[in-house]
Amino acid sequence: MNLDELDSDALSELFNIGLHRAAASLSEITNQRIVVDMPRLVLCPVGEIESRLAELIGGEIATVHQVFGGAVAGDAVLLIEQDKAAELAKLMTGGEAGHGGRMDESAREVLVEIGNIVLGACLSGFGDVLQTPVSFSVPRIHIESLKSILGSLLTESAEPQFAVIVATQFRLSALAVDGYMIIAVGAKSLDRISRALSGRIS
Amino acid sequence: MGDAQSRVRVGHTSPLAEVGDILDVGVLTLDGALVVTGWNHWLELATGKRAADVVGRPLLATEPHLRPRARNALEQAVNGTTVIMSQPLHGYLLDIPAPAGTGTILRMQQSVRVLPIYGDDGTPQGAVALIQDVTERVAREDELREAMVAAQTSNQAKSNFLAAMSHELRTPIGAVSAYVDLLSDGIVGSVTDQQRAHLLRIKMVAAHLLAIVEEILTFARIDAGREQVRISDADAGQLARDAILAVEPLVKKKGLDLRYDLPSAPVPMKTDPVKVRQILINLLGNAVKFTSHGSIAVHVTASPSGSSVAFAIADTGHGIAAADLERIFEPFVQVSASHSRSHEGTGLGLAVSREFARLLGGDVTVTSEVGLGSVFTATFQR
Repeated sequence: MNLDELDSDALSELFNIGLHRAAASLSEITNQRIVVDMPRLVLCPVGEIESRLAELIGGEIATVHQVFGGAVAGDAVLLIEQDKAAELAKLMTGGEAGHGGRMDESAREVLVEIGNIVLGACLSGFGDVLQTPVSFSVPRIHIESLKSILGSLLTESAEPQFAVIVATQFRLSALAVDGYMIIAVGAKSLDRISRALSGRIS
Repeated sequence: MGDAQSRVRVGHTSPLAEVGDILDVGVLTLDGALVVTGWNHWLELATGKRAADVVGRPLLATEPHLRPRARNALEQAVNGTTVIMSQPLHGYLLDIPAPAGTGTILRMQQSVRVLPIYGDDGTPQGAVALIQDVTERVAREDELREAMVAAQTSNQAKSNFLAAMSHELRTPIGAVSAYVDLLSDGIVGSVTDQQRAHLLRIKMVAAHLLAIVEEILTFARIDAGREQVRISDADAGQLARDAILAVEPLVKKKGLDLRYDLPSAPVPMKTDPVKVRQILINLLGNAVKFTSHGSIAVHVTASPSGSSVAFAIADTGHGIAAADLERIFEPFVQVSASHSRSHEGTGLGLAVSREFARLLGGDVTVTSEVGLGSVFTATFQR
């Protein structure tokens, strides 16, 4: 499919709604005001993810990875630079996790919960437009380089694979943390999403 | 016996429950109406409630103190959403007393994953909560956090003490120098040549002591995060010339050659010139201190992209073993005990130089070969 055929405005709106839902959930859990910025989206073949992301994020990265299935299937990954992830976990827990800027066990656990909420809220938007639920695997956390993360996404596949890269910022207290999502799907899933978005608009 | 059979029938039939027991995880399964359908042996041991008494009853009947947030998580899961309840944000799912020996923690701290259970038609039919006891980990992290806070407080107190003491020391040294000047100038009476020589020696020792105190004061400021950077326009070539001028007498005194390759045109940079000059004087001073014969060479080069400038100081001293190359940047370290006796100093010069360079967005690195010499390179953004 041609990426130009996908209505990126409609897709942006879908992620915007999902991220605001996620922010509301996180605010409720932490009793703090958490805001997420309007997301910026890039659509590209999966082979281009590294070049698109390399200028935005580097070093050791904390990722939360979930496989999703149903009417659309693929991989969803939330990426945050490791030191920022520790700081985010520290602020969200009032200093209980991520003390000393370390991605300790508690900080990892908190990030898994954040990732589950953010990825779940965004992907359930796909379920809404497709009018069929999307199911998720248990989220897993990894601390590694961008290259290693992408290695696990770039699996051999008969059909072309595409990625939606979503960039946003989480804001709480005086902290603003850049967060990125990669939603990697096959051509058939992308086609289904595109048709569903067009149908919703028409 | 009857109880055991009943427990096996109602509570331990699920392979998931068995796996939970093997992996030391509590496994609670529920149907769509939050009625308990599974309660593994781990949960029996932790809660003291037998599966036979729990399975088949609504969870709220057996767990009347279930918090709204926990109930909400279970309801979300039976509706098809995977829910994570991290310990730092939620504490626990089920209200269970903390295991013995975990200090002041009253309830078992839990890391929980609640997953939907799907029926054959693909719709959610219930949920499974996997509960991990993380009480010990939380107690350990609490201890570690307290220890880190105590260490930071102690470090801050040490830095404050050093800063205060250094100041107290500097004032009397200044007074000693001033009185030596008064005596040398003959203001309070005539001075013989021999007395003048002794006074000169006192003045030199006082100046040396002052340099050491200044170094300690600088290190204490860096360590306390109070060192300030004052950025202005500077020329890399001129900074190198200033530093060379300062150490030239020492180089001549030791009979060493001094070679330099400085840019003919100005190399403008925005930096803290006082700090860069001090770094270069420290590195040149070290090169002279640890070189008994041969030469000291200074090269200043801008990177091809023009974004940075490097000052390389090469010596023909006795060099540094590979294992010590990073250690020399640690405070109070001189790599060889025999050297530290013959080469006086606080062992703070390189630590201060590297910290200064890093404050300016640069670094100080070293390459060396034992017996041939060392090259220290200070790099800065322009």
